[in-house]
Order: sequence, then C-alpha cells, then structure tokens
Amino acid sequence: MEPAAGAVAGVEELRVENLAKRFGGLRVLEGISFALAPGDLLGVIGPNGAGKTTLINVITGRTPPSGGRILLGGQDITGRPTHAVSRLGVVRSFQQTNTFKAASVRENVSRALRFSGGAGPQGWARVAPLLDAFGLAPRLGEQSDKLPYGLQKMLGLTLAYAANPKVLLLDEPAAGLERSERTRVDEFVRHVRACGCSVLIVEHDMDLVRRLCPRIIVLDAGVVLAEGPPAEVLARQDVIAAYVGADAAGDEAA
Amino acid sequence: MEARSPSRWGAQEWAAVAMFLAVLAVPWATDDLLVQSIVNRVLIGAMAALSVFIMLRMDLLSFATPAFMALGGYAAVLLTMHGVTEVLLIVPASFLVPALVALPLGALVLRLRGVYFVLVTFVLTEILQLVLFMTPRLTGGADGLAGFPAPTLLGTELSDARSVLALAAAMALLAAVITAALTAHFRQHFAAIEENEVLAESLGLVVWRYKAMGFVVAAGIAGMAGFSLGNMLLTVHPTSFGAQQAVDTIVYAIIGGRGSILGPIAGASLLVTVSDFLGNQGQYAQGLFGLLLILVTLVARGGIAGAVAALARRLRAPRAAAGPAAAAPEAARGGA
Amino acid sequence: MHEFLTAGIIGISLGAQYALLALGFTLIFGILGVINFAHGGFYALGGYVAYAAVSQAGLPFPLAVLAAVVATAALGALYERFLIERLVDDHLATMMLTLGLYLVISTGLLAVFGPQSPEFSFPVQGTLRAGTLYLPLENLVVLAVCAAAIGALWLLIYRTDFGRALRALADDRKVATTQGMRPGLLFPLAFGLATGLAGLTGALVTPILALSPSAGDPVLVTSFLTVILGGLGSIAGAVVAAVIVGFVEAYASVYLGGSTGALILFVTVLVILLARPTGLFGREIRGA
Repeated sequence: MEPAAGAVAGVEELRVENLAKRFGGLRVLEGISFALAPGDLLGVIGPNGAGKTTLINVITGRTPPSGGRILLGGQDITGRPTHAVSRLGVVRSFQQTNTFKAASVRENVSRALRFSGGAGPQGWARVAPLLDAFGLAPRLGEQSDKLPYGLQKMLGLTLAYAANPKVLLLDEPAAGLERSERTRVDEFVRHVRACGCSVLIVEHDMDLVRRLCPRIIVLDAGVVLAEGPPAEVLARQDVIAAYVGADAAGDEAA
Repeated sequence: MEARSPSRWGAQEWAAVAMFLAVLAVPWATDDLLVQSIVNRVLIGAMAALSVFIMLRMDLLSFATPAFMALGGYAAVLLTMHGVTEVLLIVPASFLVPALVALPLGALVLRLRGVYFVLVTFVLTEILQLVLFMTPRLTGGADGLAGFPAPTLLGTELSDARSVLALAAAMALLAAVITAALTAHFRQHFAAIEENEVLAESLGLVVWRYKAMGFVVAAGIAGMAGFSLGNMLLTVHPTSFGAQQAVDTIVYAIIGGRGSILGPIAGASLLVTVSDFLGNQGQYAQGLFGLLLILVTLVARGGIAGAVAALARRLRAPRAAAGPAAAAPEAARGGA
Repeated sequence: MHEFLTAGIIGISLGAQYALLALGFTLIFGILGVINFAHGGFYALGGYVAYAAVSQAGLPFPLAVLAAVVATAALGALYERFLIERLVDDHLATMMLTLGLYLVISTGLLAVFGPQSPEFSFPVQGTLRAGTLYLPLENLVVLAVCAAAIGALWLLIYRTDFGRALRALADDRKVATTQGMRPGLLFPLAFGLATGLAGLTGALVTPILALSPSAGDPVLVTSFLTVILGGLGSIAGAVVAAVIVGFVEAYASVYLGGSTGALILFVTVLVILLARPTGLFGREIRGA
C-alpha cells in the first residue's frame, strides 16, 4: 500500500512524564514516563487491569491525570479536553468496535474528516488507500453496524486515522479479530507509520506485538515493570510472573 | 465520494414547514370554535414536542420543557402587563428569556447523560414550579397571572379568537423553521452525538458546543409554546408547567417518532385531537398514551413517522430496485 | 419542645415509608439499570388492592396487605419478564416502558374505582400516651412494619445466596452471568421484589394518608429525591436518605411552612446531581 501524498504534516513527538492516576484511594497509574519519536512505534502490554486503557484515557483527556505531564511536540497538553487533544493530533481507537452505528461507511468517514477539520478531497485521498486495502471501498453505502465485526473494527481504525493524527493510540486493535484478519492491523500500522504517524499500541496478541513493535513497555498494577525490545523484555522472570495466572496467558499461547 | 452537503433540507423539513404554512389559513377557513380550539392546542403541543425532539436528536430525554415554557410564558405576560404588547417584541422575548437561562444552565446539566440527564431535567421542572408558587409578588403565586392586556401587532389588538389562533400558527411556523434549520444544518453532528458521543469527541467534535446550541434553541422554542399557551388560556398558571406536561410532550415526540421532524408534529396532532374527542373522559387519554408508548417502544421504534416512512419505502421498493441502493433514510433511525 | 418531638415522630414514620419505596426503586436501578417510572403506580395499586380486599372481599387488613404485596410483586415480575427484559440495556426504552405502565395503571385505577378517594381507614385507631406525648397508634404500626420489612430485605440482600446473586449482577452483569447467575430468572424476581415493596407501602400508608388514582405522583417524586440523595443504586444510602427526607419534610412543614421544605430538598438534589451524581453516601454507580 502506498502512503498518500501530502499526508505528512509537521510530525511531533509525544512525551509522557511521571503520569499518575488515582481513583479515590485506588492507584491505577503511577510514575509512567515514556517518549515517542516521530514515526515511532511503542507497544504497551500488561495483564488486564494493569492500567493500559486508563493510560490512553488520560493521554487523550478523557480522564484528568492525578499528576504528571503530557507533552506534544514540547507543548503541554495535560488536562486539555478530548476534542482539543484530538485536534492537536493525538487520536485514539477503541477496544470495542466503535463506529457511528446507524450511519453508512461513507458517512462515518465523512464525519471523521469533518469533525477533525479535514473535510474535502484531500481528506478522502488520505483515507482512500486504507478503505481499498480493507475492502471497505466497495461497501461505502452500507450501514456500519451491519458490516462483519472485523470490518467494523478496521473502519474504527480508519476513522481514527481520518482525523489526521500525529500520534495514534490504538487500544487492542486485534482483539476479537480472526487470526487471518489480524494482518490487517499490521498493514494499518505500517501505512500510518509510513505517513509519519507515531503509534502507541496496547495489545494482548503477543505475536502481533513481537512482529510489529521494536520496543515495548510492560505495565503491571499501574507501574512500568519493564521496558525494551520485546524479545528481551518478554524473557524476563518478573514479566512472566506478572502474566502467570493472568488472563493474557491464554491469549499469548494461542 | 464526499457525502452530500450537511445543511441541505430534506423532504421532511420542507413538509413540516409547508404544513404550518397551511395551518396559517385555518383561522380564516373556519369559524368553528371547537376546531379552532383543537388546532390551537395542537400547535402548542407541536411546538413543545419540537423542543423535546431537538434534545432527542442528541439522545437526551428532557423533562425540562415545561420549565422553559413557563419562563417564556411568564416573561411575555409580564411584558404585556408592563405595557409592552407588541408581538414583534414579546414573541422574541418569549424565545430569548428561556434561551438565555438555558445557556448557563446547559453548562451545568449537559455534562450529564442518560438517566442522570433525565433526572436533572425532571428536578428542574419541579423546582421552577415550586418557585412560581412561592413568588406571588412577581408571578402571582398560586393565582397565576390573568387579566393581562392582549398582544398587539403594529398597534392592532390581537384579541379575537381568529387573531389568537393566527398568532399561534405564526409562532408554530417560526418554531418549525428554526427546528428544521437547526436539525438539518447540524444533522451529521447531532446524529454523531446520538449514535456515539465518545467517538465523535475523540475525532475532534466539540460535543458540548452542539449540545448547548440544541439546548438553548429547544428552550427558546418551548418558551414560545409557553407564551402561546398563556395567550390561548388568557392566563399563565404554575399548574400548566409541571411534570404532567413534561410527560405529555415527551409522549407526543416519542409516539410521533423521534427520528424525523414530522414525528413530534404528527404525535401532537393525533394525540391532542384524540384526547379532545375523549372529552369528558379526558383522564382516559393518559391511559391511551401509556398503551401507545408501550406499543411504540416495543414494536415501532420510529413512532408514527417512522412507520409511515417504512411503509412508503416498501411501496416504492419495486420501482427503486432497478436503481442503485439508496442510503438508509433518516426516519429509519428512530430506535437506537 | 412538644412540637419538635411530635414532628420528629412524624419524620421517622415518613422516613420509614420512604425507605421502603426508595429501596425498591434503588434495587431496580442498581440491578437492572432501569429507572422505574411506574414505582408510584405500584404504590397506588397496592393501596387499591388492599382497599378492595377489605371492602369487597371482606378480608382482614393484614391479609389485604398481603394480597396487595402479592399482586404488585406478580405484576412487576411479569412486566419485567415479558416486556422490560427485551430492551433492558436501552435506558430510554425502559423509561418509556415504565412510564407507559404508570399511565396505564393510574388510568386503570381511575376507570375501576372512580376519581373519588374511597373510604379506607386504618384498622388500628387510637393513641399511645408516653409522658405528655400522644403517639398515633397507626403511625407506630406502620413504622414497625416498615422497619421489619427493611430488616428482612437487608437479610435477604446480604445474608442469602439470592441476595449475593443480585449484588453480583449489580456489580458486573457480564462477569456474574459467566459465573452462572441467570438474569432471565433473577431480573424478574428483583423487579417483583421491588414493586412488591411499593405495593406494601401503598397498602399500609394509603389508609392513613389518602387513596386516589394519582396517589403515585408524589410517591414517584419522593422516590427520585431519596434515591438521588442516597446515591442511585445504593441500598444503605437509600435508607439514610429516606430518613433525612422524612425529617426535612416533617420539620419544614412545621417550622418553614408551605413548599419551602420541598424546595430545599429539590435544590439539594440538583446540586448533588451536578456535583456528585453518586449521591451523598453512595459509591455504587452505573454508567450513565
């Protein structure tokens, strides 16, 4: 798949400094720090309840952090509302299928472009290669929640990319997909990175993580347990221990 | 590849406005006081239901319509009592006063969703009704306000039955035009909020801005309905603006159909007329509303308008089959 | 001082009634996520069933109360099982279903019993003298029955497998279902339990207050207030809030007069909804 022309805007890097999130007395995230270079790809793994989705929620302004800073290209975006963070270029995808259910595929994409301020032919040109690659192009008139699950999921990813992000935060993009469908996630990630997008990917599918991510961090009970290349990190005893008995074990073995 | 222009009016918007244009002729078409009275109450019910409809476009069920009706009604009546009777002034006032109150109020209540929004609007209506009862010096308290001067249009008094109805029809037309303009212009935005607010926001939509706009306009339209009600009854009274009225307007909108602007209009027309024909058994209308509400919720989520649209689609289907598949019509969205 | 104590007794007696109503309301919301607009309807229905059982069938009052509980619980359970169940995850649809049911119940009562309040008085009359205080016996009986019902409900929810299953469903329906809880069976039971409590309250209280087809209107409003105050879905919160609402109502009517007490409650509830939708005491909350 070819990157669309003119898509690469001024790409920036995301920096998270000492991020913390507590709900009442419950510590969900503590002292999380990492950085994403332009076009970089960072995997985030960890057992359920480790705080992975909360991390995405905090970065995108859905929940305010209890401490720490989030910088985008040097600009402090901590505590900004979701729509503002999105307009600045940090866009997420969702774990469950997330489309505008009653709307057609075309309307879905058109809304994503309009809401992000990118309506017009350039926007469509940027998204077109993804629609073609996922087989969505011939189904533009179909209602999105009538599509097969896998396609709904890919539409969700496409919508996030349509919002013209500099940094994409993907929340378990492969969850619920058939094995054969999971390579589409690879395709998606490769495409958006080629367009200069930085990607943070939260994922349970360890094959996919190993395939895609040059670098991962392991979250456990809200703190960073380990960081480094997947082969190295996944061999560590404490990481394995964190996963023993955890739900992800089955997923990984599959 | 681009979807059609967002602000274009569809057939339903034009039909709604055309209907109210036609109603403008009714005062001169009949002298039957019963017909005039029913039409007048249909117009008021339709306006109130349009206000509910606007909020339902964003999946928000509002019980606050009577509160805004009261604000508009009392504001307009108080103006006439202080010598301002020109409708070109008091009609805008009946829109603006509740709209201006809705602006700061919206900032507070629009953060809530689902049942919490329902409950907070319910509480607002109860509070405003209590306040009306407890402020006799301003609002007449339990006596309400009566005996106020008739409104005037450029010096001409609008006090006979015909002019009262004509004024109601004109206000309803205005309400329909405003509702059609708002919901057509922001069709995609409102639909996105209705279907998946979280996704819309994460794609960059400033959700609160659209909700606030809808809330303010819905309040204004309710305010006009409130003035229209006071003008017909020749009094504004706290009991006209309680939870019961909130239920009625919601029933009109839901049974008529929440997916199309024609829904609340159809719902108000049908249900107001039916309760009128039940006459002395007026209380029984409530039971009928209840049954219809259950029925619509279970088997016809698009309400009357949705059912009619589905029927029309089925009748048209053989002809359309040859052409390219049409996009799903708006009315089909009633459920969700 | 006298006045103060008398108002206090009225307050606690009101509080006990409100607690029974609010417990049912909060159970339905906590477990099913449904706002039961028909709650006041079940209260009025309970009152009329008890009235009919006494005046038409000649049953003694306690049996009439029992009949009211059975009738309202059965209707609630069946309505949940056959109608609400289908749309239980759609908050707007379930509100419409319960609102519709309320309109049908109150119109049905009107059609059958007429708009006049029937002659229906509490079988126990008289007053109990305690020092210089006169306590109406009927209020004491109501208080005792309500307290017993609240205690029984507490045991049911916190000390039985049924209660554990209900609480598990309220916590996380998905997890509870995978662990073998059966919403298809438990939801109607919970709904029936809650509406039965409303019917019980109606049967006990309407002979003292008033019975009319629209007797449910203020009951619904009070249930709303209490439950929001205590935190939607919270059981302990509902009881505490009910007592507060009872006292505020009793004292405000004596010392403030008119609607001031109601206004204070409503404004408090408004502030709570805006600032802390989990209520004064509640932690439990469902996604809105």
